[in-house]
Amino acid sequence: MRLMAIEMTSRRTFLKTLAATGVAPSLTWADARAPSFLSAAMMPDGSFGLIGLDGLAAPLFTIPLPTRGHAACVHPVRPEAIAFARRPGTFAVVIDCARGETIATLESPPERHFYGHGAFSRSGDLLFTTENAYEIGEGRIGIWYASAGYRRVGEIRSGGIGPHEVRRLPGSDILLVANGGIDTHPETGREKLNLPTMRSNLSYVTQDGNVLDQVELPTEQRLNSIRHIDAGPDGIVAFACQWQGALSETPPLQGVHRMGEPITLLPVPGDLGPLAGYAGSVAVTRTGAGIGVTYPRANTYIIWPDGAGSEGTAHRLTDACGISASKHGFVVTSGEGRVIEQTGASTNELRQMPCSWDNHLIPVA
Amino acid sequence: MRFFLTLALFLGFAGPAVADPARLVETAIAEHVLPGFAELTEQSKALASASEASCKPDDATLRAAYNAAFDAWLAVGHLRFGPTEIDSRGFALTFWPDPRSKTSKALANLIRTEDVAVEDPEVFATLSVAARGFFALERMLYDPAIQAAGEESYRCQLTRAIAADIARTSALIERDWVEGYAPLMLSAGTGNETYATPREAVKEFFKSLSSGLQFTSELRLGRPLGTFDRPRPRRAEARLSERSLRNVVLSVETSRELASILAAEFPEIDAELATAELRVKEQASELDDPVFASVSDVTGRLRVEILQQSVDSLRNIIRNQLGPALGVAQGFNALDGD
Repeated sequence: MRLMAIEMTSRRTFLKTLAATGVAPSLTWADARAPSFLSAAMMPDGSFGLIGLDGLAAPLFTIPLPTRGHAACVHPVRPEAIAFARRPGTFAVVIDCARGETIATLESPPERHFYGHGAFSRSGDLLFTTENAYEIGEGRIGIWYASAGYRRVGEIRSGGIGPHEVRRLPGSDILLVANGGIDTHPETGREKLNLPTMRSNLSYVTQDGNVLDQVELPTEQRLNSIRHIDAGPDGIVAFACQWQGALSETPPLQGVHRMGEPITLLPVPGDLGPLAGYAGSVAVTRTGAGIGVTYPRANTYIIWPDGAGSEGTAHRLTDACGISASKHGFVVTSGEGRVIEQTGASTNELRQMPCSWDNHLIPVA
Repeated sequence: MRFFLTLALFLGFAGPAVADPARLVETAIAEHVLPGFAELTEQSKALASASEASCKPDDATLRAAYNAAFDAWLAVGHLRFGPTEIDSRGFALTFWPDPRSKTSKALANLIRTEDVAVEDPEVFATLSVAARGFFALERMLYDPAIQAAGEESYRCQLTRAIAADIARTSALIERDWVEGYAPLMLSAGTGNETYATPREAVKEFFKSLSSGLQFTSELRLGRPLGTFDRPRPRRAEARLSERSLRNVVLSVETSRELASILAAEFPEIDAELATAELRVKEQASELDDPVFASVSDVTGRLRVEILQQSVDSLRNIIRNQLGPALGVAQGFNALDGD
């Protein structure tokens, strides 16, 4: 670790010198030592940071964050990551992962706050952020010009209330939004203000705000808040929910969808019960076949190797939350610092670090 | 490093957990849940009768009945799972916080249009939760603006309809506890899909305990405190009926009662809970400020902040000692809830 820090410093000095002489090269993720994953974490001393991990979960760099992070999103070309604060945050930092520096800070405009997730356009020119227009209780997607200092250039409707996560469908510029449906106001923190009327949806939105498709869960599952999403190749989408109703009535918390088709819910294997009514994160494998979901309150993650057509297999992991596709399967992180790779039936502990991994593990393409 | 060690302890899930969880669930239901909801039903029924006898906002009997029923809700208001969550009943009884003033708007609207929903309890029960429950009735009884709106005869009908609706909702919650949810929790671990083990049911009570006190600290006290530069006394809960401080004290009392039941086999934790509760009550009685109006001046603010810290130390005992002792502590991500 120490050796790496020195390497990083001299590299940074070198890059800074280059920048100062005006011949700054266009950096790529290779300049940030090509991490496979990023995750926010709480360090042993109680401070917070964003950590880059290689394919075997060896830490490549740690960049301090001012507060507890939630998720990050990564630029498709440049080694830049956006680290979002926990909800209801009003800022996000743009980190140059090669130089280990914060290069811009996004501040949510008046009467908006961030939910903690974002996505880049295909070219990487634009960044999209999920936001709450809280005085009117509507969801927005903020648009930032990533190629010119992350200036805010506009916003579109998210298609619902409480847009928690936004993803870009691979190979397109269509934005997929998980509108969780829950109205909150920063004055009252995370207090849910509209449970009696809430309704969550998945929306497919173009960059200029046209809703191409929108699906809801059945009426009796009105209280299931679609919170997290992932999209695989050829348009497969997986989602994970947080149930706001009585535990005894918990419906399936996860499902898959394709634009223009109905939702398919994935039942959980065996007699796992309601899983505390709470899924933390979801990932689709690179082939688009496998689905993985974490349940931190039930200390469990479940893998469906072949999506809706397969029976899921449950695995125990205390405070399991971050999950991402890896080369051959999934990598799962926990609040106890563990990094587990799940490939088929084989569970392999890649690493245990003295930190608490935060909610989401972000793959770097 | 010390911080991390504490964290590691806090995240230690397995825990020795000597207490018999099934026994704890039994006691919590028999001594805390069922008597609490029975009292709520009774007091709410008395409130509805009082409103029939006199619907005048300043009627002393009606106001006393209102306060007695609201007190009864405070004793069970933290039990936000199961029957209170069906059909949004918890919200239909207490719609607060209300940062967009939906209750005032909904009531003004009903009064202006003389909505006939007041004539039929079944229809009234379908109205927005903002127009129902204790905070709607508070406006009817204590808000001069509402009392100046529309016709007196309609306001009288509305007052009675809200009171009757509170009684109806309370009775439904109690019925569902007695007939369904109590047996469900008591059968935890015997082919029960909701609570796979009795410890899961204990965890449900534990969660309601922590979120109830979190609500008291962050909203009941945190909202009027606002920031140092901008205190917000008008945001205090139940300010019109001057119940703000009372609600804090009652919520702490009921939390302590449930915590003590769960701490049955940990007398040293229970002793700490008792000390922490006593501190809250002493500070509250010295405050002499039922609606936290004093948060606007420096010394007043400090005293309310100290009260909030005392509520937080009670929370910390519950989270850092009781949770791990019961084997129900939650992890870094499980707690974050996002």
